[in-house]
Amino acid sequence: MGNKKILIVDDDPDVRQGMNVRLRANHYDTFFAGDALSSMSEARKHEPDLIILDLGLPAGDGFVVMERLKAIASLAAIPVIVVSARDVRANKDRALKAGAKAFLQKPVDNAELLKVIRQALGEPAQAEKPVVHDLGSL
Amino acid sequence: MKEKALQVLLVEDNAGDARLLREMFSTERAGSFELTHLLRMSEAMIHLAKGGVDVVLLDMGLPDAHGLDTVRRAHEVAPDVPLIVLTGLDDEALAAEAMKEGAQDYLIKGQIENRALPRALRHAIERHRMQTESDLIRTNQLQFKDEFLSHVSHELRSPLTAIYQFVTILLDRLAGELNPEQHEYLEIVLRNVKQLQSMINDLLEVTRMQAGKLQIELQCTSVSDAIVYTVNTLQTAATAKGIILTSEIELELPSACADPTRIRQILIILVDNAIKFTPANGAVKIQARVSRENPNLLVLEVSDSGFGISPDMTERIFERLFQTPDPASAGRKGLGLGLFICKELVTRQGGEIWARSAPGQGTVFSVTLPVFSLPNLIAPSLKRERLTEGPITLVVTEIGSQTGWLSHEVRAEQSQRVRDILQQCLHSDLDLLFPKMGLAGATELFFILAITDEIGGEAISKRIQERLGGCEQLQQAGLTNSTSYHSLEAIKRDASESMKDFVEKVATQIQELMDEEISSRMVKNG
Repeated sequence: MGNKKILIVDDDPDVRQGMNVRLRANHYDTFFAGDALSSMSEARKHEPDLIILDLGLPAGDGFVVMERLKAIASLAAIPVIVVSARDVRANKDRALKAGAKAFLQKPVDNAELLKVIRQALGEPAQAEKPVVHDLGSL
Repeated sequence: MKEKALQVLLVEDNAGDARLLREMFSTERAGSFELTHLLRMSEAMIHLAKGGVDVVLLDMGLPDAHGLDTVRRAHEVAPDVPLIVLTGLDDEALAAEAMKEGAQDYLIKGQIENRALPRALRHAIERHRMQTESDLIRTNQLQFKDEFLSHVSHELRSPLTAIYQFVTILLDRLAGELNPEQHEYLEIVLRNVKQLQSMINDLLEVTRMQAGKLQIELQCTSVSDAIVYTVNTLQTAATAKGIILTSEIELELPSACADPTRIRQILIILVDNAIKFTPANGAVKIQARVSRENPNLLVLEVSDSGFGISPDMTERIFERLFQTPDPASAGRKGLGLGLFICKELVTRQGGEIWARSAPGQGTVFSVTLPVFSLPNLIAPSLKRERLTEGPITLVVTEIGSQTGWLSHEVRAEQSQRVRDILQQCLHSDLDLLFPKMGLAGATELFFILAITDEIGGEAISKRIQERLGGCEQLQQAGLTNSTSYHSLEAIKRDASESMKDFVEKVATQIQELMDEEISSRMVKNG
């Protein structure tokens, strides 16, 4: 069975790369986009199983991306996990209402991220092979 | 260029005093002042409301207003117009009070020197202008500072994310093997990343506090859950330092009237601090019980076997940006905001926080929180100014348990679901929800008190009916049928025999609280 495909949308190339290494180590195939526009074209091209979405993006923010995804039949069902530096209290409910499966605050604890990804993909929970350095909850 | 005449409003009922004052303007250049003279407060208020007045000369003894009342009323209609009060010789103390109420200056009748009046007027206008300007600058500065802090804190999170990602990639050996020394150094980086992250969070929290944007949602909250959560979260950190972290919760501890996320936050800060300031092989303990002095309060205690604090510091530690000058704990990092945040959170939930300690003997932090009860839950919102007039609306939802076709687990789950739905229905600030108070074996009862007009009550009731109707599981359980909508009197009348005492007590408590609130309002409003 092939690896699940994840589209990483974040305007910070370092954060994209960091996410990439972590996800590949956990046997996911990764694709990238750095703005709202290319996130749509990449989503169309690869039809990923999951999208990790930043909120602050050039050319329309994460909410715009979620709205556009919903409008396209082939993409509407792709689960979206929002990973943002923005304030939880001001943005979490809004993101969930817009259709996100989860809202995670940057920097996201690795174990937490992988757990939420697995949940969203309907995969069984499992511990990451290497030791996970958790970031605590506060 | 010809200057515009200053519009002076003189409010003075004594004809002689008024004439003397008028004469004082006679030496002024024509067209520099334009005087309007009125005899009563009521006339003055109408005139002020129209606008265009530059300065008011106000006698504090008018036929229809007296003393400070004159100043207050003038301020009410024209808060931006500078005011000078006129008083008698024996009323200087009153004049000083008037200045506290916002008057720019006072003049004592019969003591006003020649030409002093026009000068006083010009000064009052100028002083008022400068004050308004500096108030505005200050408000802008504060707002800028809040926005700046909030912006910076958020922006710091992105680079911090990248650092965290790559440090953990290295530590998890996703980029190849590490020698022990490299591993150790990366652990140090990671520790500092976490430190930085918690500083950013603290900074944001304090910014929110100062902008008045801190959200606290009081509800029926389990303190035990919060303690278990805290122990689970910080167990690893404690063990790593060889510290034994334990908790002791009194049997059948009642729920608190508090915000569950805020209780967790408070406990995390206190326990995290305790671990930080306790040397290796020490102990940190969380305890919770009902206060012996006041059964309406829960006491949470976090005690450690750490360095202790000198007694004269036990209050100062809650100040913003406080950092211990104690050399024994030097080198510990932090912004000094944790306890400040704690105190704010505890106070906002109607509790208190304090510390007891002696150097070398550890520290005990005590937090009190109100026990969950009807009055405790209602009290804060009754005290809010937005209480509207009108009849009380009570919505009661009963979940029948007597039929016995629901297992205990299912029932607990159902209660939670109903509670969630009700809460979703009630996001208006005027609504209040009473989750069921856990009477064993009895019919589950949900009280929603809506302090609102009848139409509002109906709207809420309709929303609840709609939501409950849309919930398939609940419909199957036949729960929607028992949703009813009553006035206080009707609740008392309709209550089933077994519930009567309980409902009666609840209704009486609400009534007493309302009466108290209404009478205190009447006193306040005269």
